[in-house]
Amino acid sequence: MKTMKQFLRSIAAVLGFLMLTNMQAMAANVYVSAAASLKEALNEMVDKYAITHPGVTIQKNFGASGALAGQIEQGAPADIFISASTEWIDYLMNKTLLDAKTRTDFAYNELVFAGRTTKKAGGMKDLVKLNKIAIGSPKSVPAGVYAMESMKNAGVDQNLAAKLVMAKDVRECLTYAEIGEVDGAFVYRTDAMQAKKAKILFVVPEKLHSRVVYPMALSLSGAINGDAKAFFVWMMKSSDAKSILKKYGFILM
Amino acid sequence: MNLSPEDITAILLSLKIAVTATLLSLPIGFATAWLMVFRHFRVKVLLEVLINLPLTLPPVVIGYFLLLFFGRNGWGGAMLRAAGVEFIFTWKAAVVASATVGFPLLVRSIRLGMESIDRQLLQASRSLGASWYDTLFTVVLPLSLRGMIAGSSLMFARSLGEFGATIIVAGNIPGVTQTIPLAIYDYASSPTGTSMALSLCGVSVALSVIILLLHEVIGKQLETRREA
Repeated sequence: MKTMKQFLRSIAAVLGFLMLTNMQAMAANVYVSAAASLKEALNEMVDKYAITHPGVTIQKNFGASGALAGQIEQGAPADIFISASTEWIDYLMNKTLLDAKTRTDFAYNELVFAGRTTKKAGGMKDLVKLNKIAIGSPKSVPAGVYAMESMKNAGVDQNLAAKLVMAKDVRECLTYAEIGEVDGAFVYRTDAMQAKKAKILFVVPEKLHSRVVYPMALSLSGAINGDAKAFFVWMMKSSDAKSILKKYGFILM
Repeated sequence: MNLSPEDITAILLSLKIAVTATLLSLPIGFATAWLMVFRHFRVKVLLEVLINLPLTLPPVVIGYFLLLFFGRNGWGGAMLRAAGVEFIFTWKAAVVASATVGFPLLVRSIRLGMESIDRQLLQASRSLGASWYDTLFTVVLPLSLRGMIAGSSLMFARSLGEFGATIIVAGNIPGVTQTIPLAIYDYASSPTGTSMALSLCGVSVALSVIILLLHEVIGKQLETRREA
């Protein structure tokens, strides 16, 4: 009997704890879905923002822009969406899931080829001599789309088809290069700057692909959420946000 | 149905990997089951746990261990490199991943078959002068056939569905290591891939149902033959 009582008491304690943590989650929440490449920069921005806005909790969700767009379409909570290409923001705009008036370009980035290979890799033409190359899956990862465009325009896409390891987002792509299981990976300059072992082998010429831009917008729920709007404007306008973006290697507007 | 040539390759590749993994595992699975059923030794419990571990471990964990072992800095990787074999991110890695994950299912079924063998038959063969390997190949092997078929079909089906370990060691290379589950994952991560993903899901369900039906039919047939 005694153990039964203890058992019930511990269950009650657990339930109480769950309710408590749930209550916390009820406090002013802003959900941000952002391209995986923004991870460190956005984390720092959120930490900075928290100092001056202690009542607001920013919930971050990082992933491939296409995967995030899919989640938002399926009804995942998102007040702000920052994509790594125009493709997925257009996709959600067309489904009228975003507030078109709020669309803004947040930052620019550059596509690079990074890795640990000792083989010669100084430009697109050298890639055909490599063994394995990681790219983000073009179905959902913008970095993969830019990489495919560049390979096509450099005329090497046919020779590389069987060498491409598809990663679920640009960060997984970087990890493949970092552990050295591929010769190199197409990532953004800002990702390569986060790498410890992989080095930038060359910058992909900008004329080979469309410009890497991060458009962002408020969702329909974000447009009626004052805290979301405030954070959105802060990201866009504040000098703190700008200096953080610059620090991580993003190119400002 | 909405299958691209890439999807057809993924289906064929899945079949190739599952068949290879199953065939390679059969002799090892048979030997392991024989050890567990007919031999007595000290570390049996340990071996038992080790064999069954892949049933309960997350496949991702298995994949990660395999990557560490066969990767650039692992022993296995160093040995393979010395032998000039490329392993990680090739279909061979997918075979090893599938084999590891499916192995316990194979051993379980073979063991069940072996445990049901009448011990008197074995004693009779030995007292009639058969050596241990004669007994093994002329009595134990034929009488374990049912277990081997049942185990192979289960393992084959499990291999077709292997995802977690495979994506880590074999990566996701269309036409080279992209199996059905990996292709589905690729489609599912994009909101525009729904119909393509569903087509492959259909193929996956069909294959599983066919294999399980075969598994049941063969099981029933062998049972009735045994009763007769």
